[in-house]
Amino acid sequence: MNALEDKVESTVVEKIENVDYKMVTFSLAGKDYSIDIMKVREISKATHFTYVPNSLPYVKGVYNLRGDIISIIDLRTMFNLPSVKSEKDGSDGSDEIIILRLDDYLLGIIVDSIDKVVGISSRTIQPPHPIFGDINIKFIQGVVEKDSKLYIILDVESIFGQDAEDVEVTSVDFHQNEVFNENKPEQLNMGFISETLRTFSKFNVTDLNNKWVEKRFNEWKNLKGNSSKDLQLHSEADSEEFLSRFYSPDTGRFWSDDYRNLVYPFLNDIPGGSIRVWNPGCGKGYETYSIAALLSDKFKDSSIKIWANDKDLMSISNAPNLVVDKQTLPEYMDNYVIPVNNRFQFSKNIKDIILFEYHDITHPNTFPEVDIIIARDVLSFLGYSEQLRMINEFKEKLKADGILIIGRNEELPDNEWKRINGNNITVYKKIV
Amino acid sequence: MRVEYINPFVEAAFDILKEVLGDDVQRGELYLKSTSKAVMGVAAFVGLAGNVEGRVLFDMSMETALAIASEMNGETLTTLDDLGKATITELANMITAQAVTKLHDLGFTFDLTPPAIFTGENMEITDNEVEALIVPVIVKQGKIEINVAVRERT
Repeated sequence: MNALEDKVESTVVEKIENVDYKMVTFSLAGKDYSIDIMKVREISKATHFTYVPNSLPYVKGVYNLRGDIISIIDLRTMFNLPSVKSEKDGSDGSDEIIILRLDDYLLGIIVDSIDKVVGISSRTIQPPHPIFGDINIKFIQGVVEKDSKLYIILDVESIFGQDAEDVEVTSVDFHQNEVFNENKPEQLNMGFISETLRTFSKFNVTDLNNKWVEKRFNEWKNLKGNSSKDLQLHSEADSEEFLSRFYSPDTGRFWSDDYRNLVYPFLNDIPGGSIRVWNPGCGKGYETYSIAALLSDKFKDSSIKIWANDKDLMSISNAPNLVVDKQTLPEYMDNYVIPVNNRFQFSKNIKDIILFEYHDITHPNTFPEVDIIIARDVLSFLGYSEQLRMINEFKEKLKADGILIIGRNEELPDNEWKRINGNNITVYKKIV
Repeated sequence: MRVEYINPFVEAAFDILKEVLGDDVQRGELYLKSTSKAVMGVAAFVGLAGNVEGRVLFDMSMETALAIASEMNGETLTTLDDLGKATITELANMITAQAVTKLHDLGFTFDLTPPAIFTGENMEITDNEVEALIVPVIVKQGKIEINVAVRERT
């Protein structure tokens, strides 16, 4: 027994003493981070960087470090952390900079304050944990505990490396529904339905909406009779009739008070402060204004920003100056509209938080990570490979504790997304 | 691209072209594009900066450029010499400047960079991660494609 205890003790001692990894620690937005010391060339204090026009928002400028011109990156901006620059004790207003040595160039990063060099055993580094939600997990090399402080080790190679932009497309268990070449007439009819939905309504039957389409198909049979001819969709009107039950509540109009109250509780987990929302496929903007009013009620002191896009120019072109009749306005919007010639327009404080863009979401989406994505009945109208790409993009863009709302009859692969229970509403969080 | 930006560019292109080339100006269907784009032969380029970042590209064939430059100068040009290039550059500058003025009235502040002109065959423009609004305009001298890529600085 004693021998065993000795052995345990000796391994513990060995573990502690075996310092083979040193890191420079610093704080950023109140959390402790660190960087492998082998990547750090030196530490410096500086101010007055030379601003470079047209550079990315997080590039603070360039700096002359004893003859070497290096770029200076503001880590807070880069990670979308609130940029409250506290006037620190260093009253000269200079920033603390860690100069990194990457493959063949130097780079300076601005942090809140540099702490010290800490030596640890590389075996004690634990893989990143999703609770550190401020920073995209792929930038984190690991987490380590030392002297009862937790340090997040940043993977500078993947943050600043050349190929950082390459996004790996993970294979998901998600399929296009191809049910042709089957002998059963049942499946043949179903195949025809998929085909015609695509032709007439650009609706793509995949695992995203397969369950609903099958259910609807059975209803359709009861409605239309069993002969293949009657079952088929012959025109856009047929196709739209088939899809009429698909759409989420309050599609194409303001969210009713009921629907607003349905969404409200799902926002409880969103931390306030700065709230960013993506509303792809916003159409004429009714949904976006509903979201804006709802968020303004819920997060009174937060700064809210909504990116709303649609690729239909006709729909979106009037969205920024939408004028509506009194009877179409639900009660919760009363505080956010102003009368204009017997009709109503949204007030400036609501308009200012929305950015309506004529934009195709399958093109590059250039805005930062968001807390909420509301894409009801949008994915189903994209092609199969685009659906896959957008689901991946949603995962990339959504913060760790953010929520994704998709159409009520749509569902995501459950190995990557965790569904939160709700009636008539489909809400997901990502599994990190 | 922000919805409010679209109309000023379309209107400015329309107004200026009508003014300098006569009434026969037609607008094609607007669309979005994000892949690399073949340039028809002459491309005038104006950069935008300020609260936004982006650029406007005026793309046309050599024949169209020559015909437009001839019309604007009141003489027939056979090659796109310095005068011809300066004319096309000026046209690009006028359209962009008017659009920027209209945007200023709406409360958006843009700065312009001096225009540049590219000529040559088989050119292609690739700007990654940029989505451009294409405004095709048809005049009697040919087709001009106005390619506007603007995004907010975040």
